[in-house]
Amino acid sequence: MPAERAGYTVTMFVVDVCKSMGATKTIPLPPGPNGEQRSSEVTHLQYALQYVKFKIQDMIYNGRKTDQCGVIIFGTEDTDNRINDENGGYENVTEYITIAQPTAETLKRLDELKPSDVYGDPIDALIVAVEAQNLYLGNKKTWTRKVILVTDGEGPIELEDWEVTAAKMNELNVALTVVGVEFDDEEYEFKQKNKPHYKEVNEQFYNDQLCNPENEGVKNSVVGTLDRVLEDISMPEVRTHAKCLADWRCRYSREEAMEILIKTSKCISINRPKPFKKFYIRPKISAGGNAEEHDMEVDVDEDEPKNITFAQLKGRTEYYVDMAEPKDGEEEEGKGKEKVKEEEMIEDGDEIASTLEKVEKEELIRGFKYGTSYVPCPDGQFSKLPTKKGIDVVGFVAEKKFRREYSMGEVQYIWANPDNSTAQCALSAMVQAMYEKGVLAVGRWVTGDGRDAKMGIMSPTLFDKVHCLLWAPMPFADDVRKHTFPSLSVIKNKKGETLTEHPYIPTENQSEAMDEFVDSLDLMEAGLKDEESGKRTEWFDIRDSYNPAYHRLKQAMFHCAIVADIDTNPLPPPHPELLKYFNPPKKLLKKAQSTIDECIQAFNVKHVPKAAKMVRKGGHSHANDDDEEMLLLDRNPSTSKHSQSHAQSEVAQELEKAGGENDTEDEDGELLLDKVGPAQTPHPLPTPARSLSSFSPQDQDDDAMDIDPQRDANRIIGRTHPLTDFKDNLKRGDIVTKAVEDMCMVIAEVVIAPFASRRKDEMIECLTELREVCLKEDEIEQWNAFIPNLKQKCLHSTPGNEEFWTEVQDVGRELSLISDREAKKSGGSSNISEVEAMKFMVT
Amino acid sequence: MAPYDEWNKIEDDDDDELQDNSFFDSKKDVILFCIDCSPSMLELRPDPESEDPNLKTSHLYTALTVAMQLQKRKVVTNPNDSFGILLFNTSRKPETSRKQGSEIKKNMVLFQPIAPISAPAIQELIQLLSDPGDLQKEFPPSGTQVAIGDLFTSCNWVFRDGAPKTATKRVFLITDEDNPHPGHGAKQLRTSAETTLHDLLQAGVGVEPFFIETEEKRFNMNTFYSHVLQNQISEEDDEEEDANVLKQSISISRIEDLLSQMKFREVAKRALFSIPLELAQGFTIGVKGYGLVTEQKRGDYKYFVDLGDRLEVALPKTGLLDEDRQAEVNKSSVVYGMAVVGAAPSNENDGEEDNLTATKVVKSGQRPFYTPDEMRSFRTLGLEPGFKLLGFKPRDTLKFEDNVKHSLFIYPDENTYAGSKRTFTALLKSMVKKKVIGLALGVIRRNANPTFYAVLPQEENVEEMDPAGFHLIPLPFADDIRSAPIEEGYIAPDNLKDAARAWINKMTIKSGYIPDAYPNPALAYHYEQLEASAFQEEFNAAAFEDHTEPKLDLIHKAAGKLLKEWKTELANDESANFVVATTGSKRKGDGAGQMDKDEVLAKFNSGTLAKYKVDELKAFCRGVGLGTTGKKADLIERVEGWCEKNKRK
Repeated sequence: MPAERAGYTVTMFVVDVCKSMGATKTIPLPPGPNGEQRSSEVTHLQYALQYVKFKIQDMIYNGRKTDQCGVIIFGTEDTDNRINDENGGYENVTEYITIAQPTAETLKRLDELKPSDVYGDPIDALIVAVEAQNLYLGNKKTWTRKVILVTDGEGPIELEDWEVTAAKMNELNVALTVVGVEFDDEEYEFKQKNKPHYKEVNEQFYNDQLCNPENEGVKNSVVGTLDRVLEDISMPEVRTHAKCLADWRCRYSREEAMEILIKTSKCISINRPKPFKKFYIRPKISAGGNAEEHDMEVDVDEDEPKNITFAQLKGRTEYYVDMAEPKDGEEEEGKGKEKVKEEEMIEDGDEIASTLEKVEKEELIRGFKYGTSYVPCPDGQFSKLPTKKGIDVVGFVAEKKFRREYSMGEVQYIWANPDNSTAQCALSAMVQAMYEKGVLAVGRWVTGDGRDAKMGIMSPTLFDKVHCLLWAPMPFADDVRKHTFPSLSVIKNKKGETLTEHPYIPTENQSEAMDEFVDSLDLMEAGLKDEESGKRTEWFDIRDSYNPAYHRLKQAMFHCAIVADIDTNPLPPPHPELLKYFNPPKKLLKKAQSTIDECIQAFNVKHVPKAAKMVRKGGHSHANDDDEEMLLLDRNPSTSKHSQSHAQSEVAQELEKAGGENDTEDEDGELLLDKVGPAQTPHPLPTPARSLSSFSPQDQDDDAMDIDPQRDANRIIGRTHPLTDFKDNLKRGDIVTKAVEDMCMVIAEVVIAPFASRRKDEMIECLTELREVCLKEDEIEQWNAFIPNLKQKCLHSTPGNEEFWTEVQDVGRELSLISDREAKKSGGSSNISEVEAMKFMVT
Repeated sequence: MAPYDEWNKIEDDDDDELQDNSFFDSKKDVILFCIDCSPSMLELRPDPESEDPNLKTSHLYTALTVAMQLQKRKVVTNPNDSFGILLFNTSRKPETSRKQGSEIKKNMVLFQPIAPISAPAIQELIQLLSDPGDLQKEFPPSGTQVAIGDLFTSCNWVFRDGAPKTATKRVFLITDEDNPHPGHGAKQLRTSAETTLHDLLQAGVGVEPFFIETEEKRFNMNTFYSHVLQNQISEEDDEEEDANVLKQSISISRIEDLLSQMKFREVAKRALFSIPLELAQGFTIGVKGYGLVTEQKRGDYKYFVDLGDRLEVALPKTGLLDEDRQAEVNKSSVVYGMAVVGAAPSNENDGEEDNLTATKVVKSGQRPFYTPDEMRSFRTLGLEPGFKLLGFKPRDTLKFEDNVKHSLFIYPDENTYAGSKRTFTALLKSMVKKKVIGLALGVIRRNANPTFYAVLPQEENVEEMDPAGFHLIPLPFADDIRSAPIEEGYIAPDNLKDAARAWINKMTIKSGYIPDAYPNPALAYHYEQLEASAFQEEFNAAAFEDHTEPKLDLIHKAAGKLLKEWKTELANDESANFVVATTGSKRKGDGAGQMDKDEVLAKFNSGTLAKYKVDELKAFCRGVGLGTTGKKADLIERVEGWCEKNKRK
C-alpha cells in the first residue's frame, strides 16, 4: 500500500445537531478507584463529538499546517451558509467553523454545540461542505479532500437528486465517511433494538445508495457505526515517515583510494511520545491582592459555579553563587566536604543559604572542572578534532566474533547513491563478498566535517534487487565498563579446592528440570495458525509489537484534550493490541504448567523478606564483645577498640553537622562469631552489614537497611536474634515452612559454634518455640527430622556440644520427638510412637 | 554533572518528566593508594615495555605511574572524586608542612592526603616520576616490615580525616610481599590484621588488593592474605562472598598488567537496579542490573562566576514558573496535560494581566489534567518494576537490525530471593546448551516504559574476563521500524565480487571488534586540551593521535594492489556506462540521466560547463554526491571544484 502523503488534506466534518441528537444514552466507564461500576449519561451529540474531537486532536497533535479542517452543522435553528446567502435554500445548515488548521479553540467551540429543536437535511449539509471545500482549495488538485458526516440518521433526508451530489463528489475525488449513531453493523455485531422504521430506511440509504458506488454512490466511501469507530481510533497506528537519505562517502585508503558514494537512512528510529506540558491551578487574586491557595473543593458549594484557570508552566533555571570566603584552616581537609555540597543542585524548596547570592546568567563564564581547579572555556567547548565527513572502512571482522550486546544504538541503512551506478556496483560487489566470506566491516563514521567520529559495525544485507549495509554503532574503549563478577559455576573453598556441591550450584536434577522448562516455553510454534500452511507461527513479532507507553500516553493526551473532567470521565482502558505480548500465550503456559511446577519444586526459591528489623542493642551483642576482647588480648594495643570509639565520637559530631544524615553504623563486632568459627560445613555467608541503599528507588524507601549481619543471604532467620526473627516471620505468616527450616539450621549452627554455652538458655527457648510451632503448623515431620539430627551433632560430631544436649535432656519430654498422640491432638500426624518419643530423650 | 555519572543513567529520555533522578545522584569515589616501598619494590629492573636496556624502572615507579594515570583519567571523567597516596615500609619522615591528619604509624608516610583531585597534586606526582632512580632517595626503605594491622588502622584514620561521608571508599593495596609476617608472632599479627581490616570494613572502606609477582618472586595468596581478606565484604555491592569460598576477584599480576587490572576496578561497581525476574508464575528470582556498555559523553560545561580573586561555581536552581505572574510554583501541585495550542484570546480571564502563558479555563471542580500518579500508570501500564520471561527462541532469531539502544547486564541477587543463583545458573547453562535466547518484558524502574528484551546468555570466559550472566537487549517496537527507501539497485557481477573478496581477505582483523583498540578521539582531544589548560601548558594538537583512523600504511601494504585491481575492473564494468533507471518520477531532472564524467571534464577543460542546463548540472551533482541547491552559478562552481579534484586522475 503506498503511504498516504501526510498533510495536504482538508477534512470537512458535517455534524448532525438535530433534535434527536439530544437523546441521551448511558455509557459504561472503567471501574472507579474502589472497583465500583460506573457509568455516565451523555447525549448522542456529545458522544458523537468525541469522535470528531479525536480526529481534530490528531491534527493538532501532528501540527501540520497543511492538515486543515472545517465544521458544518445541520439542524440549527438559524441558517448561515454561503449557498443560502447567494441562492437561498439550504436552510438550517450552518458553516460553524471555517476551514483552517485546527487549534484548541476549535475543540472548545465544538464543546459549545447543543442539540437544537429542529431538523436539517444532511444532503444539503453535504453540498454546503463540498462547496466550501472546493471553494477553499480552488485549483489545488494535489490536496486530499475528505468529508466526514456524523449523524444519527433520524432526521428526514431529501432524497431527490442525491445522485447529482454523489457525482459531484466523485468528480472532485472527495472521500466520504459516514459515522452513524447506533447504526446496525453486522461485522461488529451491533443491532439497535426498537429501531424506528424511518431510521432503518435512512440507514439503508447511506449503505446501499449514497455510499454504494455500484449504485451511483460516492466511490471512495465508507459507513461505520459510532461505537465501532470510537473503538478503532484507540487502535495503535504506526506513523509513516518521509523517506530521506543523507549523503556520505565510503572511503578506503590513499592512492588506490576507493570512494563509494553512499546515502544513509534510518532503519530503526526510536519513536518518542510528545511530552506533556505541566500546568497548575492559578490561584485567584484575593481582594487584598495576595494570591491565595485555591482549593477546588471549597469552591463548589458557592452560589454560582466559578471558573478555575489552569496555567501552563515553564521551567526556569537560576544561578546562585556561594559568596562565603573559603576558610583558611579548612583548605586542606574541609575541601572534600565543601565540594560535596557544591556539586549538588539546589533542590526545590531548599532554604537558600544566606551566603548564596543570585547571579544573572549573563555574568557567568562557561568552563570545565578539572578536579578542584576550574578551566574557563567561554565557547562551552574546546576546539574539535578536525574530521572529514564520511565513513572510513577500518577493516573487516568475522561475523562469529561479533558481540551482539555491544550494539549500542539505532541501526541505519547504508545505500549506494541511487543516481550513481558505479557506486551501486562497487557497494554491491563489496556486500556480496562480505556476505560470502561471513565478515562484517568496521567503520568510522563522521556525520559532517568537524563532527565527532563514531565507530560502528556494518553488516552486509542482500535484498532481492538491491544490496546494502546495515550500520550498528559500537562502543569506544571509553564506553565499555569492565566489572568483575564472582563466577557462577566455579566455586572454590578457602583451600583453593573447587566445590561440586553448593547451594549456588544447580544439581543434576535441577538442571534437568530447567532443560525441560526451556523446551516447554519454546515460542516458535506458539503463535497463531498460518492460514495457508495450517502450521502454527512464531509468537511475538516485532512488527506487531506496539510501544505500549507511547500509544497509551498519546491516548491519554488526546483524552484529556477532549473531555472536561478526568474524574467523571476517566481514560478508557488501553487497546488490547497494546497488551497482547504482556503474557506468554495461554495455551503454551497450560502445556508447560507441569514442567513449571517441577521447576518450582526443584529450585525451591524463596523470597527473602526485606530488612527484618532488628534491635541491635541487647545483652547478646555484649556477649560477643567479650569474645572479641578475649581474642584480641595479645594484639598490639590501641588498635580496633581505640579507633572504633574514636570514630564513634567523630560520627556523632558529624551526624550533628549533617543534620541526622544516617550513613554510619556503630555495630561492634557482631560478626565475630563466625569469623573465629572453625571453617566447617556450609558455613555462613557473611551478608553485608549494610548495603548502599541508594541504588534503587525501592531500596530508598526502606530508610534503614538493618539486615542482621548474621543472617545468611538465603535465610530469613539470622543468628543474632533467631527467636525474634522467627516470631516476626510467623507473625507475617506467609512462609512457615521456610522459617522452620531456617530455624533448624540456625539452632544447629549456633549450638556447635564456639562459646555456645553463653547462648544455651536462648537456644532452649528457641527449641521450645520451634517445637510448638511445628506442632501447630503441621511441620511435625521437620521437627522429627531435626531433633535426631541435632542430637547426632551434639554428641557425635567434632566439635560437638554434649553439654548442650544434656541441657535438652534436662528439659526432657517436652523437647523430644513429636509422637502420633501429640500430633493427633493438634490435627497432624506422626509416625513416631509415644514410647519412641520417651526413649529418645533418655538414650 | 560529570560524564561518568551517565553510566548510572539508563537512557530513557522520553520519561525525564517524571523521572526520579535522586538515585542517580553521583556517588563519589574515594581511592587511597597504599603502596609498599620495600627494597624489592624499589629495585631497579629493565623496563619490559621499553626496548632500551638502560631504561630502568621499579615496581614502585610503575605503581605510582599507574596511580597518576588513574588520577588523570578520573579528574576529567569524574572531577569530584578524591584520591590519596599512602606509602609504607619507608623511613621517609612526613613533612611537617603537610598535614598528616591523625598521627600515622611509624614507617608510613601519607604522601598525598585524601583530597579532591587537583591539577597541582597530579603535577607533583608527575614531577616525582621524572626519574625512577630518584624514588629510592625519596622513599628509602625502612628495613622493617610494617604490621599489616597497623597499615589498615592508618588507612582508617586517613579516610576518617579526609573522605566525604557518602562516598564509596576503597583502598588499593599494592605490594609484592606475600608473607609480611613470617616467624615470630605471626599468628597475633595476622589476627590483628584481620581485626583491623574488619574495622576498616565497618567504616565503609573496601580493600582492593593488587598483588605483584615476578618470575623470581611468586605471590602465594595462601601464605597470609587469603586468611586475612576472606572476610572482606564488598561494601558497595552486597555481593555476598561465602566465607568458605575464596574471593575470586583478587588479582595477582605482573607489574606490567597493573594498569589493565586496575581498569577493572577503576570505577566502583554499582547496580542500576535490583528487581525480580519472573520465570513463570510462582517462579521468581532476584537479579541486579548493570550497564556494561553506555556511551561516555563529554561532560557538560558548568557556569562560573569570576569573583576577582577566584572562580566559583554557580549553582543552578531549577523551578517551574507561571510566566504571567512570575511566580514560582511548587512541584507538588503540578498536573499534566496537552499543550494548549493557539490559546483563546482571553475574554474570560482576569483581564488584568498580559497573557504570555497558555491557560485553560474550566468550570470549578473539573480537572481535564492528569496527576503524576495517573501519568505513571499510563507509562508503565500498571506494571511494577521487574522482568517477566515470556519464552524462548533460537539464537538466530535475534537480528542484527533489532537494536535501539545499549544493552544491560543482569546477575543473580541471592539477597532478595534465596536460590536465585542456582536457578540463574541452571537457566544460563540450559540456554547456552540449547542455543536459545529468551524473550522478556521488563520495567526496570517505577517510572520506566515497559520494554521487550532479548535475553542473551553469556557463559563465563576466564580469559576474556567475561562474567557469566545475561545481556538484555532492548528490542525495537513496531513504531520504531522504518522502511527501506530504496528497492532497486545495480547488482555487481561475480568477477567484481571476487575481486572485492581478495582485498577484504587482506583487511580482516583477526581479533574481532575490540573496543579497547578504539579510544574515543573526540573525548581524548577534549580531555587533553582540558588537561593542558589546567596545567597551564600549551596544547599540542599536532601530537594528538587518533587511534580510530584506518591504518592506511598497513592497508596499503596488504591490500593496495588488490584494491587497485578491483578499481580497474570496476571501471571496465558496464555499470560505468549504465544509465540509472528512474524509479518513480517525483525527483525532478532525473530525465537528464547520468552524464559522462569524461564529457564533463572535457567541458570543464574547455571552459564550457555553462552550456549544461540546470537540470543536467543538478543530475550530475546528485550523481557524484554534491549538493544540488542554489542557482546555476553555484552549481557550476561546485562542478568546477569537483573537476579540479578529479582531473589529475
